[in-house]
Amino acid sequence: MNRTLTKPLTDDLIRPVFNTSVWFYAIVLAAGTVVASGAVAWGFQLWYGIGLSGKRWPTFWALYLTNFVFWIGISHAGTLISAILRLVNAGWRRPVTRCAEVITVFALMIGAMFPIIHLGRPWLAFWLFPYPSAREIWPNFRSPLAWDFFAINTYLTGSLLFLLLPMIPDFALIRDRSTGLRKKIYGFLSFGWRGTTKQWNRLESAMQIMAIAILPVAVSVHTIVSFDFSMANVPMWHSTIFGPYFVAGAIFSGIAALIIAMAALRKALHLEQYLLPLHFENLGKLLLLMSILWGYFVFNERLTVWYGNEHHEMAVFWATQRGEYAPFYWTMVVCNFVLPLAILANPYTRTITGCVIASFGVVVGMWLERFLIVVPSLTHKALPYSWGTYSPTPVELFIMAATFAAMILLYTLFAKFVPIIAIWEMKAGDTEKAHLVEVAAAQHQPATPAGASVRAGS
Amino acid sequence: MKAVYGLYPDPHLAQAAVNNLRAAGVADADITVISSEPFEHFEFGHRDAKTAMPWIATAAAAGGLLLTYYLLGASQRSWPLVTSGMPIVPLWTNLIIIFEMTMLSAIIATVITLIVTAFVGQRGTLYDPEVSDGYILVGVENPTDADKLEPALSIDGGRVKKT
Amino acid sequence: MAHRWGMAIDLDRCTGCEACVTACHAENNIPTVSQDQAARGRAMHWIRVERYYEGHFPDVRVKFRPVLCQQCDNAPCEAVCPTYAAHHNEDGLNAQVYNRCIGTRYCANACPYNVRFFNFFNGEWPKPLQLQLNPDVSVREVGVMEKCTFCIQRIKAAKTSAKAENRGIADGSLQTACAQACPTSAIVFGDLNDPSSRVARLARSPRGTRLLEDLGAEPKITYLQKQPWNEQDSY
Repeated sequence: MNRTLTKPLTDDLIRPVFNTSVWFYAIVLAAGTVVASGAVAWGFQLWYGIGLSGKRWPTFWALYLTNFVFWIGISHAGTLISAILRLVNAGWRRPVTRCAEVITVFALMIGAMFPIIHLGRPWLAFWLFPYPSAREIWPNFRSPLAWDFFAINTYLTGSLLFLLLPMIPDFALIRDRSTGLRKKIYGFLSFGWRGTTKQWNRLESAMQIMAIAILPVAVSVHTIVSFDFSMANVPMWHSTIFGPYFVAGAIFSGIAALIIAMAALRKALHLEQYLLPLHFENLGKLLLLMSILWGYFVFNERLTVWYGNEHHEMAVFWATQRGEYAPFYWTMVVCNFVLPLAILANPYTRTITGCVIASFGVVVGMWLERFLIVVPSLTHKALPYSWGTYSPTPVELFIMAATFAAMILLYTLFAKFVPIIAIWEMKAGDTEKAHLVEVAAAQHQPATPAGASVRAGS
Repeated sequence: MKAVYGLYPDPHLAQAAVNNLRAAGVADADITVISSEPFEHFEFGHRDAKTAMPWIATAAAAGGLLLTYYLLGASQRSWPLVTSGMPIVPLWTNLIIIFEMTMLSAIIATVITLIVTAFVGQRGTLYDPEVSDGYILVGVENPTDADKLEPALSIDGGRVKKT
Repeated sequence: MAHRWGMAIDLDRCTGCEACVTACHAENNIPTVSQDQAARGRAMHWIRVERYYEGHFPDVRVKFRPVLCQQCDNAPCEAVCPTYAAHHNEDGLNAQVYNRCIGTRYCANACPYNVRFFNFFNGEWPKPLQLQLNPDVSVREVGVMEKCTFCIQRIKAAKTSAKAENRGIADGSLQTACAQACPTSAIVFGDLNDPSSRVARLARSPRGTRLLEDLGAEPKITYLQKQPWNEQDSY
């Protein structure tokens, strides 16, 4: 029997690497401009000082920390999809893994910029790296910020490798199809990959081990980010629920970002045959589950605070529920809970468009949630004389806009130079389906044992 | 000649070719199978599957754990500064960093093992770009008796090539 | 014997004149900020006088409370600094090392008393104000956290001369700038480890309470008042 060759699949998924549309240049130009303006804003801040931002006494952390937690949260998309679904052998993950892993890596890189941007003296940030110095002083390993350093770097290294390793066979594929400079570059990037059975087996073993290793790291990263807050005795920060709450919120926002990215890719690269409504349906169900989980955690946290009636915490509580932060709080509840439930619980509205609308809501809602964790508590600490306010300045807003533009820019560049759907994974998926069909067929016709050596004429 | 090989559009044909080569007396280690995807459900895809990679990763994790444990203690004792009344070497907070470095050691060891075994330690240079179109390459490099091998590789549906 | 510097502030004597605030600015080279920046919350008063009104007109009472770094024994600000810029020194003080600070501002968030301040900009001393700078105290650059140090430069000077002259530090001879400037002697500074010192006796006074004591930071400043404040406000 002749198996259909994989040329159409390969052609479809490799086309963006060889053909560039005008939209690519337009997006890169637009996003690049916003990124450049953010860099200029940061330059001003480096020159004049953090005073250009809206931070003040007592709100010493505000938009930069909000964005930091937000982007690190978004980075949990890839791990869930790639690692967990790979470990449970869910076939529908195949077209989605690389999209998700790319979000993880870029979101991590962007998120990791913020601890540097928010520093008073960022040129000394290298002091967080444990190097032996003549002064015999090391970082304070008791500080959650030192834990952040190790956690984020470990996760970034792991995710980067988890993304890069399965790209090698696809680079080899592009190398074989290209000529000239492109062939040289992709030839170098594929490190001499041939596709022998030994190489495939080693790659699969490595991916399996890394999937197992990266899961606890991902959980630990956002838990450690939550420790930045829960370790301080600040009203409504010093909560034991922050670890799981942040991780659940991270996965929640990550899936939403993934849905948006997939929908954009589907449209832009004409991947309608590969990113099917089924994938959005499944991710939409996951998003619904995470929305309910998020609601559970918020209810848990708020009920405990309200019931305990400890007056330091109640000041923050009422500020968010009824006070100056109430509009943000209730928008967050609608975006994170009401809207996703309404759209995703109903199979008729759980379409691609529905999922994307719910996802945009979740992204906005989760950003607001981070903001509402950071700022209200700092503006209402224990001594009422030192209560304060906060409002952002253009510098902060430009830098924030630049990070969103940076994500779009990096993603567009990636989708151009690397097949956004792992071609070998898709091929393996098709082979697996064919194999299952054969096995089923053999069970219906016991006279012909399956897998028999095929000689001429079959 | 450098190599003789066949290109097959179907994994069943490739399996047949491998079986034929074995019947023709070629050692398993000399048979090269190259494809653009892993064929886990076929016997020829399971060759070379045994690896010590998980053990290496575990050993590296254990090493990273011990090394970080001792380094943290040593660095904290090198200039003991009291902060918030905590002990100079607090185990609970050190555990967090020890955990991260353990996982990082496992990940890096896995990648190094992959690079060494799959890339640096490659035997042979046989390759045909048609593999990227989905053909499976089954062949022998530097064959001793190519005349016996050509008929073994000739299966309906495949093509035999020589370099 | 090691020292343990502490303070007692008598709220019944405090008139809210803020001489302590001015003296602290002068002694410690604290930059002043413009009116606009002060409105944006960038003022850095290492010691501030909090003013609370109780009751309604005409039975209004005004309470003043100077709040400065409590030099907590269990300081929440120390463990969270990633570079050891905030740590506990042998005299029981919460030390702030300006050169080691990279400006994460976590210590300021962790401090329940909000007594830590950040240099949002470089301080400016338009001529001839730079002549007023205290040569014993560094001028902090932008991006660095600062707070009350119990005038550590005066402590160091006193310890150095005491050691050179082979004597102890007499109680009352070493004063922080705020204690020195206070016209009603509401602020008393001294060595808590010396049981006969004025501050040690006042710390044991039945009129004494500590600020936010239930948070467990173990502050070393004792606030003395004859009448407890309104029961509702236990801050």
